[in-house]
Amino acid sequence: MWHASAPRTSGMVGLSLGEKHFIQGGIAHDLRCDGRKRLTYRRISVETGVIPHANGSAQVRIGGTDVIASIKAELGKPSLLQPDKGKVSIYIDCSSTAEPAFEGRGGNELAAELSIALQRCLLGGKSGAGAGIDLSSLIVVEGKICWDLYIDGLVVSSDGNLLDALGAAIKAALCNTGIPRVQVAAGTSNDEQPEVDVSDEEFLQFDTSGVPVIVTLTKVGRHYIVDATSEEESQMSSAVSISVNRQGHICGMTKRGGVGLDPSIILDMISVAQHVSAQLINKLDSEIASAEAEEET
Amino acid sequence: MRGIQLPLSQTQKVRLQKALEKLESISSKVNSAASVIIADSIPVNHEDGVLKGHGTIDLNGEVVATICGVVERVNKLVYVRALRSRYKPEVGDIVIGRVVEVAQKRWRLDINFNQDAVLMLSSMNMPDGVQRRRTALDELNMRCIFEENDVVCAEVRGFQHDGLHLQARSRKYGKLNRGQLLKVPPYLVKRQKQHFHHLEEFGIDLILGCNGFIWVGEHIEAKDDMVEDQVSQSDPQVLLPNKNCLSLEEQEKNYTILETRKYICRAANAVRVLSMLGFNITLEIIKGIIDLSISMNLDIHEMLGSDFCVLVAEKEVERRSSNKKKR
Repeated sequence: MWHASAPRTSGMVGLSLGEKHFIQGGIAHDLRCDGRKRLTYRRISVETGVIPHANGSAQVRIGGTDVIASIKAELGKPSLLQPDKGKVSIYIDCSSTAEPAFEGRGGNELAAELSIALQRCLLGGKSGAGAGIDLSSLIVVEGKICWDLYIDGLVVSSDGNLLDALGAAIKAALCNTGIPRVQVAAGTSNDEQPEVDVSDEEFLQFDTSGVPVIVTLTKVGRHYIVDATSEEESQMSSAVSISVNRQGHICGMTKRGGVGLDPSIILDMISVAQHVSAQLINKLDSEIASAEAEEET
Repeated sequence: MRGIQLPLSQTQKVRLQKALEKLESISSKVNSAASVIIADSIPVNHEDGVLKGHGTIDLNGEVVATICGVVERVNKLVYVRALRSRYKPEVGDIVIGRVVEVAQKRWRLDINFNQDAVLMLSSMNMPDGVQRRRTALDELNMRCIFEENDVVCAEVRGFQHDGLHLQARSRKYGKLNRGQLLKVPPYLVKRQKQHFHHLEEFGIDLILGCNGFIWVGEHIEAKDDMVEDQVSQSDPQVLLPNKNCLSLEEQEKNYTILETRKYICRAANAVRVLSMLGFNITLEIIKGIIDLSISMNLDIHEMLGSDFCVLVAEKEVERRSSNKKKR
């Protein structure tokens, strides 16, 4: 895909009044600029195993948005407060190839915002309860050894809807992740660190059925849309990101944009997100399955 | 597969490959000798003397290409015209640009060239259509004509000492409203007799900028502005851009009607399909794709799907081979 880079518009999409008007009108008429309806996604494609060194990785493209997620597992010590749980951290990086404005520290703000939103949507509370990833499955020896998962996301090219794409990429990467089986040497006393033997042949698959997908509803004018392009995002008044799991339960929610929303609209959005997420999960599952099949051949 | 990014099923892949191969066999015989890739040596006659131009390097007495492209020769000069590059302006080209800056007596426009183009206040027709010297008042009111980020259509006037100049000395040039701007690789838009198109059956305007910016929008009649604009001219206040003063309801009444919007999106998606496949973009082909999609009763969004793309590629093979037979 080819992107014309506008050198001096400094990142933000510059749109003329006429174009803005056209985009808003399209959303009001339920016919967006590329012919989509308000609740239609762009084409999603998933590729897994893109980073050979990582335990699991995936690249997700939604239209012109292109993100990579990689998962690295390291043996570490569980924290004192939760001795029976592993640790997961999410870190997002915005590459300056995505937008010239991300160069240097320009992308940090957005990266931090995305990291926090993803942590809220995927990791649950401080205690780790209610997380999409089952943290207790990461424990090797209680109180002594656990797996630390480092989830890194990279925004390669940005055309709106980054959060959903990153959420999908992390989900796909988790499906792709194999954690080495660990043999704990028997007969160590309680207070010393047990010796472990990490297998490089046997891998355990994750249970990813609980990992939610994120659906961002962007409000433009009176209506809200899914999968906004960056042009459409520039017209938004506010955006609500809702992460929904397979059962249709809400796992997390974040809101961007300053304009206030009526609570009834938010409830409306939630029911729409539930509906949309069911389709998205199915779509993603089939994409991930075919990507995994492709990788094996 | 020319780096086309499409999720294709196996049969689609075979079909697309076949279509592309056919296209290659139709076209490539003529100038395959002239195209080079990096590190190809370019045959030159050293006795006449050679001037090495852009994209060439002297390596052990041989002229070697440093970019992929087509070898061009002008007298002694040998250079390589890159296949993929930014737009290279030529005098008389019709381009579409976005205003980057409003400066003294001029606008700076991004036209996908490696520098911004300049449109002087003096090289465009005033909205009132009167030929006169531009006064200081005109200069102050420049933002009423074009603001930052406005999409403007103009013609390339030529290189002056301070860069590339544009002009807009006709009513067909000027600000573009009510539509969408698409960006495609500039090499897909070839220079033609006509770049402004009014698709009457759909009620839309299509402007193919030589710089790869393509405008698809609602048709606007090139109006006889002498009558109504003089009213607004009498009162400079009216000229001021009146944004944000309309309420949401009023705005919604002004939106492009759905019927026209459907055709705009259809035409825009036709351009997107062509750009994805890397085919030349002309009015004839765009019309063909629009008609094809309508006859198939396809949803506008489905035009971007891989199935339709493969179909377009096959249609293009048919079209080109039939064109060839006619010749």
